[in-house]
Formats: sequence, C-alpha cells, structure tokens
Amino acid sequence: MIYLLLMFEFFKIGLFSFGGGYATIPFLYHISEVHHWYSIDELTQMVAVASITPGPVGINVATYAGLKSAGILGSALATTSEMLPSFFLVIIVSKLLRKFSDNFYVKSIIETLKPISCALLTSVAIGLLKPEIKDVKAMILLAALLLISWKSKKDPLFYILIAAVIGIALRFF
Amino acid sequence: MSIFKLFLIFVKIGAILLGGGYVILPIMTSEFVDKRNLVSHDDIIDYFALSQSLPGIIAANMSMFIGYKLKGKYGALAAMFGITFIPFWCIVLLASVIGAFINNSYVQGALWGVGVAVIALIMLTVREMWQKSSKNTFFYIVYGLTLATLLIFNPSPIQTILLFTVLGVGYKKFTEAKQ
Repeated sequence: MIYLLLMFEFFKIGLFSFGGGYATIPFLYHISEVHHWYSIDELTQMVAVASITPGPVGINVATYAGLKSAGILGSALATTSEMLPSFFLVIIVSKLLRKFSDNFYVKSIIETLKPISCALLTSVAIGLLKPEIKDVKAMILLAALLLISWKSKKDPLFYILIAAVIGIALRFF
Repeated sequence: MSIFKLFLIFVKIGAILLGGGYVILPIMTSEFVDKRNLVSHDDIIDYFALSQSLPGIIAANMSMFIGYKLKGKYGALAAMFGITFIPFWCIVLLASVIGAFINNSYVQGALWGVGVAVIALIMLTVREMWQKSSKNTFFYIVYGLTLATLLIFNPSPIQTILLFTVLGVGYKKFTEAKQ
C-alpha cells in the first residue's frame, strides 16, 4: 500500500516542518533513507527543479517526490497530504485567532519547534556538504554564494540561476 | 465573488510565484488589497505572520487564510488547489522530459551548480533562523542539544521533534511554575 504510506509521510511533513520550503528537505532525506523511493542524488535534482519552476518550493518538491515514488497519482496524493494539516490548522486558528496566540502551550510549542527545525536543517546541510567537500570547484562556488549573501540579501532564484550559469560555463573549460 | 473566481485568482498566483518567501507578501497584497480590496492590509500582514508561525508551506498557509476569510472552508480548498494547479503540471511535464536531457553535459553542469546553490540556500535559511532568534538562550540550548543528538544517533526527524518538543515545553512549564 504505497499510496497510504506516501500520504502518511507527506501528512507528517505538512504537520511538522517549520521555516519554509527548504525545511521540508530533512524529511525527504529521511524518506529516501527509509523507503528508497528515490536516491539522495535524485533528491538534489528534485530540489533543483522545484526551485526553478513556479510555485512554492516545498509544494513543488513534494509533487516531484510523489511522482518519483508512485507516479502521477502519487504526486497528487503527496501534494494534497502535505497541505492537509495546514488546511485544518488554518481553520482552527482563524476561528480562535486571539486565543490561539495567547495560549501557553501553543506559544511554547512554536518557540521550541524553531530551534529544532533549525538543527534539522543544519544536519541536512552537513549531510549534503560531506560528499562535496573534496570538490574544490563546488567549495569555491559555495563560498562565493555565501559571500554575495553577506553583502546583500537576494531572492533564492538569484543564487540558483547564477550557480546554474557557472555550472554550464565550467563545462567549456 | 464565486468560489470558481477565487480559485482562478489563486491559479494565477501559483503561476507567478517564483523564488519563494520573498515574493509572497507583495503578490498577495497586490491581488487582494490593491486590485480587489477584498482583504484589509492589516489582515494580510496578520496572515503573513501567522503563516510563518504555523507548520507547513508558508505560501499555502497564507493562501488558505485568505481563502477561508473570503469563502469559508470551500474558499480554503479553492486556495489550496488553486495555488498548486500550475506548479503541479509544470513539475509533471518537466519530470517527463528531463530524462531525455539529463545526460547532456550542460544540463549536468547546470544541475551541479544548482546543487551547490541549494546547499547555500539551506545554510542561509539556518542563518536567518539564528538571526531571528535574537540572542535567545533557550533557542541556543535546544538547537545545540538537537543538533548533537542528530549527529550522534541519527534519529528520524519526527522522533527528534517529538522528543525535544516535549522536553522544551516541559522546561518552559517548569520555569513558569517557579516564577
């Protein structure tokens, strides 16, 4: 029953990921390790494609991961399941807007989830960095991108396009 | 306004949403405040802040807040399916043709570059979360403990989240009781 498992996995992502589209990557990483629906290399490629197509990255990458795992039905199920927790939460929060933001447990849970998500993302960054560390060109490009971000904040698409162009240009040498 | 019209507005937003977080607020403001005056500017700002503090995809959360405000449950559903409509078919189409190009040397070069950019973007997200925490000791302690646990024991994300959320909320309750 791959469809049920797929729905369950993506429902969990929608319920537990914090901090935008890239915050879903730790979960997708874990799915790859446990279910082998796609490899880590394929995941990197999926994130790349999800970043350059229209729509929220977190949704796009779920669509792509669902497609790789179980075809077009899988991708529809993954996308919908990932948004389902938000659907319920948005309705609950809209109804109790004021009460919600004053509740002790709600506040504490949100405040605790932030550093946890941040740590999860850090561990993914380390995991992705490890195989690249011997690639001198990749390290120079990474340092350059981080340096640019230090000088001025740019749209994520800017880094992706500039890195793609450099990647293509390097093929000429 | 009909549900279908609302759906179409979100289809359009999904199609022009490129790059992520940076463009959500200006696009939503332009579509729902400036052009149609359906939502107040204060509400938009509220929804943006709430969408970031809820789990899930920020753009989807914000769309559903607006959809729910305008048309209730069905409005939220219209927003959910509207915002993903074009992105969904883009991914499906691209995925079906990418196989033909994937071994091309230039495509490989581009993907290599984007792979590096993705690592940079993840690191930038981490940095942004750090900056927003603004010298909050609780943040640093939970961050440090969680990261150490992840690197040493490699548990699943859900196990990690459940364990540290219980510990964090318990700690908060304990210090609150003491005050």
